[in-house]
Amino acid sequence: MSMYQTARYHFMKDVGAPALLQFQKKRKRKHPGIPNPHLGPPLKCSGRLREIMTRHYFLSRFAPGAKPVAWVTSGAPVELLRAFDFYTVYPENHGALCGARKMGPELCSEAENRGYHPDLCSYARIDLGTAFSGKTPTGRLPRPDLLFCSNNICQTVLYWFKALSHYWDIPLILFDTPYNFEDIREHDILYMARQLEEMIPELERISGRKFSETRFQKIATIARDSATLWGEVLATMKNRPAPMSIFDAFVHLAPIVSLRGLPVALEYYKILLDELQDRVHQGIGAITNEKKRLMWDNIAIWFKIRDWSLLFAERGFNFVAATYTNAWAETIQYLDPRSPFESMAKTYGLVILNNNLNHRLELMARMVKDYQVDGLVVHSDRSCKPYSVGQYDLKRLLSERLGINAVVIEADMTDSRAYSEEQARTRLEAFFEALESEA
Amino acid sequence: MNAMTRKEYLLLQKKKRRHLMGVFPAQYPKEILWAMNVVPAEIWDPPLQTTAASAHLQSYICSVVQLGLELVLQGKGDIVDAFLFPHTCDSIQNMASVIFDYIGAHKPCYFFYHPKAPYSTAAREFYRQQLRDLADSLSSQFGPLDPNLLREKVAQGQYIARLLEELYQLRAQNRLGITNVAFYELIRRGEYLFPDDWAPELEKHVKQKKESGGNSQVPILLSGVLPNPAELLKLLDELQVLVAHDDLLSGSRRLLVPGNDFKDPFDQLTESYFSMPPCSTRASSMERRRNYLFKLIETTGARGVLFDIVKFCEPEWFDIPSLQESLKERGIPSLVLDTELNQGLSGQMSTRVEAFIETLHKV
Repeated sequence: MSMYQTARYHFMKDVGAPALLQFQKKRKRKHPGIPNPHLGPPLKCSGRLREIMTRHYFLSRFAPGAKPVAWVTSGAPVELLRAFDFYTVYPENHGALCGARKMGPELCSEAENRGYHPDLCSYARIDLGTAFSGKTPTGRLPRPDLLFCSNNICQTVLYWFKALSHYWDIPLILFDTPYNFEDIREHDILYMARQLEEMIPELERISGRKFSETRFQKIATIARDSATLWGEVLATMKNRPAPMSIFDAFVHLAPIVSLRGLPVALEYYKILLDELQDRVHQGIGAITNEKKRLMWDNIAIWFKIRDWSLLFAERGFNFVAATYTNAWAETIQYLDPRSPFESMAKTYGLVILNNNLNHRLELMARMVKDYQVDGLVVHSDRSCKPYSVGQYDLKRLLSERLGINAVVIEADMTDSRAYSEEQARTRLEAFFEALESEA
Repeated sequence: MNAMTRKEYLLLQKKKRRHLMGVFPAQYPKEILWAMNVVPAEIWDPPLQTTAASAHLQSYICSVVQLGLELVLQGKGDIVDAFLFPHTCDSIQNMASVIFDYIGAHKPCYFFYHPKAPYSTAAREFYRQQLRDLADSLSSQFGPLDPNLLREKVAQGQYIARLLEELYQLRAQNRLGITNVAFYELIRRGEYLFPDDWAPELEKHVKQKKESGGNSQVPILLSGVLPNPAELLKLLDELQVLVAHDDLLSGSRRLLVPGNDFKDPFDQLTESYFSMPPCSTRASSMERRRNYLFKLIETTGARGVLFDIVKFCEPEWFDIPSLQESLKERGIPSLVLDTELNQGLSGQMSTRVEAFIETLHKV
């Protein structure tokens, strides 16, 4: 690591980032949002979240040369990398950000111009587009020293990171998680745990730092506590009215995805949970008139979050549960910092998308009951095959078994070119009518 | 055997008291099935119209998966005794779960996960255990696995690998004297023939080799998932093109490397898996895939590469830009076709192929 770049990184951390945040705060005060009568008061924490994520992306620009940099997939056991002090960037989180800023088509086109097919995952195309063009709403993404990938969320991330590895000629480490067609087996766990152990010498070589199991255990503890808190945050939505909505959760998910294992994520969720519990005591809801409670399946349609939060709120429909947001809390009970390798193998090997569809059906049925859900919106995401294949049957089975209304919306998480507003509205109107006609 | 259709052959196997296993793409230890007197009948592109599967699968799912599910839903797989789902990609993975968890196959279902590259050291031990687990689970339906029989079938697999290697070599020298259509009919018969029947067919073709090949045809490499649509091979024949070798998932990417001799058949099968040619579905690195293509081009004298890629096949499509770029750097022309199985070749596609072949004549 270079002394100059290290000094520059620390200067930016101590002086540059606080100055930037101060500037943003002032600008925000000048342009406060207009309150919407259908929405409850905004979460006070949102400002803090914005600061955390802005700082994270801002500092990432200065990380190369000061810290080893890794690009990491959302389901990868990042705790191990934190033990080597990697600065981590999450292309999926960046993709979501680009989607929300409606930059998806532009960045996807950059990858398509290099031969990547428009049918491929749009997160991947955005990320490759950013790598090729340097375009990003965050200013600049640091070039990584390492790509760290787990196929527990999809095989796509592996193909995508392989392409990046080839483009930049940098190492790719895979955490290979056998898909659970049935129950997880002992030798699956052993295989995953051994892979984590085998990564250590490679991570030591790339980072230039020695592994410390004690430090790893501390990081695992922080990750476990943060994810547990995230689960409690989501559980506040079991209350009527729910103090937040899934549209809020899609946004407040960022730290548990991108900063898992760092104290800042833990601190943030403590504050968020306090605020939500306070709202529950005061009876403050995410929407002003919660008539029906809904569940969301699949990744968010990032470029429609704002529109749809209003569209549903106007009718008194609040999303109170989602399989997607739940994914970062669902298996955290398995993580035991005293045996980090084996327990991490189980924690990451049992996530929703690495599990069979029967597991998902049972999970969703449980969530419908726990969160008193009246209706289900299924996002059939063109970009995400492991999340989407099986959804037609899932919808049918849940409707039959639990008697709830459900609708499938064909869309994409970030590429608005694969979304038809007219078709979505027609389906939603029919769904709204069905929900409203219920007693 | 040659005159028999696939279905007639499979029905005959049942009469011979062999069991049938419907196997989805792509990679699985067929020797274990053979040793248990099970005939694997691979399901790549059944000749069906997709109707029932549309109620279960989105339109953006590839036709390998659409047709595979259609086969199950239409009951066309009723003659098999069980299904085996290797873990090839996200879509096949979820289709397996849709069938097993939601629809019900009404047959026993088996699953086979194989490790993905870049491989850890632990991957070998895991793969070996996977083989043993598969054998154990199959034994409850098909009886215990006889280790001697497995050894025999592993040796037979090695023998077939040697025959295939020789056939591909003869093919590259144009000494087989058969068309592209006939060659791939022969290769694809391995998708359902028991080795005792397939090996003699391969031997026959090896023996019938010509002393020297003609050189009027343009040699190319064919890359992709499988040689479909059939019209593509016919067109290549008409255009005097010789598919000198392939980089197909259903073809050379599953070829065993002959010559290893392990005492333990499970060790042999493990070694075979890790020494197979690179493949997108096993996430082989771009460098390995590129080098494999270069090696095939060098040894066969292929003048260009035709990528016949199934629409919506993610593992394949992710590799295409880098592979094409590498070929371009070496001055090797390539063409990419975005095809649907069993849908024939559109006029536009045929024109593109013709134009591509014309450029190769000038190379």
